Amino acid sequence: MKGELKWGLMILFFVLIAYILPYTLLTNVTKWYGSFFVWIILAVIVIGINYFITKDWGKEK
Amino acid sequence: MSTTLVWSAIVIYVAVAILIAFLSRSGKQNNMNSYFLGDRKMNGFVSALSYSATTYSAFMLVGLAGLTYNGGVGALGFELIYLMGVSLVAFFGPRFWKVGKKFGYVTPSEMLGDRYDSKTVAILVAVSNCIFLIPYSAVQLSGVGYLLQGVTNNAISFSTGVILATALAIFFTYIAGIRSVAWTDSLQALFMIITSTIVVLVLIKGLGGFSGFFGTLETKYPQYLTVPGNGFFSFLNFLGLSLPWFFFSLSNPQVSQRLYMPSSLKSMRHMLMGFLIFGLIYTIVAIIWGYSALIMFPNLENADMATPLVLQSDLIPPILGAIVMVGIMAAAISTIDSILLTLSSLFARDVYGNVKKNTSDSAQLKVGKFIIPVIAALAFIFSLMEVNLIAVLSVSSSAGLLVVVPAIIGAFFWKRGTAAGVISSVVVSGFIVIILELMQIKPLGLASGLWGILISTILFISVSLLTKAPEEKAKGFLSV
Repeated sequence: MKGELKWGLMILFFVLIAYILPYTLLTNVTKWYGSFFVWIILAVIVIGINYFITKDWGKEK
Repeated sequence: MSTTLVWSAIVIYVAVAILIAFLSRSGKQNNMNSYFLGDRKMNGFVSALSYSATTYSAFMLVGLAGLTYNGGVGALGFELIYLMGVSLVAFFGPRFWKVGKKFGYVTPSEMLGDRYDSKTVAILVAVSNCIFLIPYSAVQLSGVGYLLQGVTNNAISFSTGVILATALAIFFTYIAGIRSVAWTDSLQALFMIITSTIVVLVLIKGLGGFSGFFGTLETKYPQYLTVPGNGFFSFLNFLGLSLPWFFFSLSNPQVSQRLYMPSSLKSMRHMLMGFLIFGLIYTIVAIIWGYSALIMFPNLENADMATPLVLQSDLIPPILGAIVMVGIMAAAISTIDSILLTLSSLFARDVYGNVKKNTSDSAQLKVGKFIIPVIAALAFIFSLMEVNLIAVLSVSSSAGLLVVVPAIIGAFFWKRGTAAGVISSVVVSGFIVIILELMQIKPLGLASGLWGILISTILFISVSLLTKAPEEKAKGFLSV
């Protein structure tokens, strides 16, 4: 399982962003493109990372 | 909503589900592996849908919508952080799967018992899972009761709803074990994602389209688009709520057991990716649902009433309302039957199999099948009793199950972990979580789950360092 640490740290980074951004920069952005949009985008990014982590599953023995 | 309409929808759902359950029967289901794990031959598509149905209970369209109604966008953040946590499957999934195949594990607690070379570990983890998950199932059952009672204005009584849900959960479990559970789950998940998405599109259209919908929120309820917003989602509350759920995919045996089942790693990949996409869509649907309730019915005293009211509103055609209502009922059942099956496997494999010496596989299966209705009956009785402890255990289930997480992570990543470390961390922090929840206190402002994970991690590490680790097993697990 190559590169696991790298992927793990990347996910951790985006999870931290998901905790930090809405409670700092976005606390006064009362628009749909505030926390609502940012959380969804972060989730999409993390799903994308999962796509890459699992890309070769089943190809190795 | 008319009672005839509701009953018709229920009858159609039950008929289709029973048909699917019978069609799902394949193989002989005469051993533990087959009955509880589908012979480790589940395909990716069914695994993904069933994983989704098991994870997402009636909570989504009732509880999460209610949470949005009460506190706004923080509910979205909470649920999406949970979803990000399912990435743990990308790291632990193949490990569970490989050791499961290699050593023939049927349950996660069996795996921990073997890894830490201690029957006590297996028994304790199994028992603690039961302590938290039976009350959790009970609350799901009463959820069905309240929902049916609510949308039919008491024409269908609370107890009728609960009895119906219990009977169906037992039935789906019995027909073919995990196979009938997985296939009926899949039916429910597909049905739910399609119908609830339609409802939400109808709601958005009825409330002025995307710009009208968000325009109303931005002008009338601006604090519902930020955190901490109206104060409901203070940072510590948010952390206390989301962190236990981040580890849900490892801590809850009804989903972690699923990691043994896919036919190949490719199937597991489909399970994971399918679930993540399903979860993202369903989460957004539930949040918009809650916002719609806020726009249409502000000032409700009980946010749990938001969903029944939305379903009965003028915007939703009654047939669609009835269909989604049955979908919510099915969502509760699809969660309960999976929990039922998992807990009975834990009891048969880890409690019965370890307490009684030299039990055969077929004897364990017999016990497992016998215990299914017993656990269902317990959940049923709990759901009818208004006992404080049951509600407390259910609320603390995510926090209570969380205390096993250090032992699970340690199993694959830390060779010094020991049985004594696991036992002390699970027992001590499990009790602490229950006490904090019972007394309703948050020392230093931190919720029970945070204390649970903190104390269990410290205990697991420190007690392990003071005791001798099982080296051989550790090697086998760390090199997977």
